[in-house]
Amino acid sequence: MTTTETTNNHGGNNAGSMKTAAGEYLTFVLGNEQYGIEILKVQEIRGYDAVTQIANMPPFIKGVINLRGKIVPIVDLRIKFKLGKVEYNEFTVVIILNLNGRIVGIVVDGVSDVRELREEHLREVPSLVTRIDTKYIVGLATIEQEMLILVDIEKLMTSNEMELMDAVVH
Amino acid sequence: MTVDMSQFYEVFFDEAEELLAEAERLLLNIDVDSPDIEELNAIFRAAHSIKGGAATFGFMDMAGITHVLENLLDKIRKQEMALTMEHVDAFLAAKDVIKMQLDGHRHGSEVDAAQVDEISATLKALSEGKTEAPAPAAAAPAAPEPAIQGSTPAPALTATAEEQASGIQVYDVGLPEVTEKDLDNLKDELALLGEVAIYKRGDKHALLVKTDSSADDIISICSFIVDPDALVVKVAGAEAPAAEPAPAAEVAAEAAPADAAPVEADLGYGFFDSEPVSADAKPAQAASADGKVAVAEEVGYGFFTNSGEEPQEEGYGFFAPFKPHPDAPKAQMIGDDNAAAALAKASSEAEAKAATNAPPAEVKEDRRAQSRRESDKPAAPQNAESSSIRVGIEKVDQLINLVGELVITQAMIEQRVNALDPTDNEGLINSVSQLTRNTRDLQESVMSIRMMPMDFVFSRFPRMVRDLAGKLGKKVEFVTNGATTELDKSLIERIVDPLTHLVRNSVDHGIEKPEVRRELGKSESGTLTLSAAHKGGSIVIEVTDDGGGLNRDRILAKAASNGLPVNESMSDSEVYSLIFAPGFSTAEVVTDVSGRGVGMDVVKRNISAMGGNIEIRSALGYGTTISISLPLTLAILDGMSVSLGKSLYVVPLNLIVETLQPRAEDLKTVTGEGLMVHVRGEYLPIIALHALFNHPTEITAPTDGVLLILEADGKKSALFVDRLVGQQQVVIKSLETNFKRIPGVSGATIMGDGSVALILDVPAITQMGQTTNYITGGRSFADQNYSNLQNHINA
Repeated sequence: MTTTETTNNHGGNNAGSMKTAAGEYLTFVLGNEQYGIEILKVQEIRGYDAVTQIANMPPFIKGVINLRGKIVPIVDLRIKFKLGKVEYNEFTVVIILNLNGRIVGIVVDGVSDVRELREEHLREVPSLVTRIDTKYIVGLATIEQEMLILVDIEKLMTSNEMELMDAVVH
Repeated sequence: MTVDMSQFYEVFFDEAEELLAEAERLLLNIDVDSPDIEELNAIFRAAHSIKGGAATFGFMDMAGITHVLENLLDKIRKQEMALTMEHVDAFLAAKDVIKMQLDGHRHGSEVDAAQVDEISATLKALSEGKTEAPAPAAAAPAAPEPAIQGSTPAPALTATAEEQASGIQVYDVGLPEVTEKDLDNLKDELALLGEVAIYKRGDKHALLVKTDSSADDIISICSFIVDPDALVVKVAGAEAPAAEPAPAAEVAAEAAPADAAPVEADLGYGFFDSEPVSADAKPAQAASADGKVAVAEEVGYGFFTNSGEEPQEEGYGFFAPFKPHPDAPKAQMIGDDNAAAALAKASSEAEAKAATNAPPAEVKEDRRAQSRRESDKPAAPQNAESSSIRVGIEKVDQLINLVGELVITQAMIEQRVNALDPTDNEGLINSVSQLTRNTRDLQESVMSIRMMPMDFVFSRFPRMVRDLAGKLGKKVEFVTNGATTELDKSLIERIVDPLTHLVRNSVDHGIEKPEVRRELGKSESGTLTLSAAHKGGSIVIEVTDDGGGLNRDRILAKAASNGLPVNESMSDSEVYSLIFAPGFSTAEVVTDVSGRGVGMDVVKRNISAMGGNIEIRSALGYGTTISISLPLTLAILDGMSVSLGKSLYVVPLNLIVETLQPRAEDLKTVTGEGLMVHVRGEYLPIIALHALFNHPTEITAPTDGVLLILEADGKKSALFVDRLVGQQQVVIKSLETNFKRIPGVSGATIMGDGSVALILDVPAITQMGQTTNYITGGRSFADQNYSNLQNHINA
């Protein structure tokens, strides 16, 4: 089990609006793409182990784990977005997110880095059809010739399509 | 110095509530004919503490009513008045009013002012009317007397004997030198206590205050304006005994002639006619043969160190250490000179007017009369060696959570250690087993923090039963058993409403009126028993009455007319549980079937929400028992863990009737579908968990697995799982905290190895089972049932 507590000691500069959020991002890999999520939403990164299956859940909800006494659901984003090879081994990584007090784990292909993004790195999102609804993508960024897809992870994880919450009547 | 009192409000509210509850408990237990003096003292102390606290925090309405209450209690406690049932009733009513006021302050709920006034008047009337008032020795209003030089005439402000008996006294307040403005302020302030008159004595001012407040109160109020040390307060018409140095500027009317009404002696200077109140004198004093007036108790009260029957009075009394003014003895002498001159006239005048005693004037009682002096005093707990502390519930919950984690971690260590070679690691294994024991003890102790005795709930019922029985003209004897049985605090709080409902129903509809009971050959007073006991892993609370019992035929008829599916062959318990159906009861049916019904569906729902069951046993003509069984705590569940494929599930043990491995010949189908098992003459539907949960497993034939016979909502069904694993207590964790509700799952728990197991929601599963077809014969159910399930879930 590999558990790494991330440190948030550079936080505070992302207090602006989500749309043009400069700040620090945790980047991870899904398939061939690099994604970035706000570092302050990340609680920790750990390995994938004993997940308890839950009846009649969509395949991307792997089940729940015991995170130091808390029952935390695990979502495999690779299955959800049909990216990457879905296999579970000692290198499989789970990012534990803390979204406004709700704790959720996401399975990704791998965690790359923590990057500081400034305004000049950010690009507009072109309108296109993707598996991730563009409303969850806050922007694109270019760093060292690589494109980073910035995701509003909180909005995504709490959306109805993730089926992680009791359906809210809007 | 200003201290923000609001931070202590909660403490006061909590404390006041406890004190009220305690006072009520004592009042209900009190033996009216020979009250235990200790109990009376305890009630008095409760009223006193509430008054003190209320005044401290500026809740003058509460302080006002408690003050009146306290006065009356004080009289009874000092055996100046015999305790009667009326008193007890009035005290109980007063308790309710105070509670109402308390809630008003606490939650902003409404306070019925009329009720407050009413009870205040009742208490006052009681305290006035019920004394064995001796012949009034009071003097009548007197004509103005010539003023003594340097002094204005003292106004006549007196209290009749009746008033006096009820605690109304006239105090003579000698003031140090004050400005006119202060004097006015003082007068205004003191006017809140009662009637006030100012007169001049020598070069100083003095006040006469007619009030039922104590000398303490007067001093408290004055102390805002003048130095309390320079104040001299005594009961007018009374003279300090020699032992007590009369304070400065005090007119000590000594040596009144034996035949003079001593009442007037204090005034010394004469009287105004304008005040329609008569002079005050203790009856005993009036009769005093030597013409000397004994000091009224009130003077000693608090002013000088009270001989005090109760110790708490001392700490509270704030005035106990009050030193008489150093100049007092001297001043008295001076005073005497003045007094002597007026004395003769005064006394004769008084005597003359004594016959034309004015009717007792209503002295206006004021809520704010309370000793404001007390506001300097923090709301200290009344006894220092308090045996409990107040801790926020979230702290306790956090502690429980942490211990829960510890237990899991400990279990993990134990598991690993058990895998080691016992000979090589003997020391480690021994240490770990000790850790195991310690952890268990710790967990038990921590869990017990949240436990509270059922008495907390039961104690509120004697009052309710008493009131209700009185209102309905019934005689009910209320008995409680097992009040010390402990239950989780959160459950305690939630059981109150359902239980109140059941008790009320029993008194209202269960127990018959005395005449009916007599005709039936029962004793006139019915018995209502409330009991609590541990039974296995749960607590069973029963409400039993020896009333009319439930009428099976009536219930069936009513159910049929309500369109409920009923038939004659239903068992009694099934029939009785019909009364839990929503909207089952209507007024006339309620009385017909001896009543259970109003909101019984709500009771049932509340109990179910707590993870409990409710059951009725009844015999027509002999009574009814409603039995509620609850888990000991919401946080821990006695569970049976069962395996399904590679997963473990936990089934609440209290819902399992039995477990069995079925024989092939016991399995039946209906129309080739809907598998059932034949158990002891009953056909129970089989619910296959793997089909319901779409869970892969090797075992698909019930004969290879295990059937758990479950009972939920009065219905039995057989849950088909792979294997039984074991019975254990599990800590319930919510899935909803970070996830969402899952159909058929009530929560999750963490097993000894750190993995998560889901706890089955048996009632939901039983329902789901009814909507899901289970087809026997080793086919794959998954695909087929998934859509069904989805429909169910979406519905």
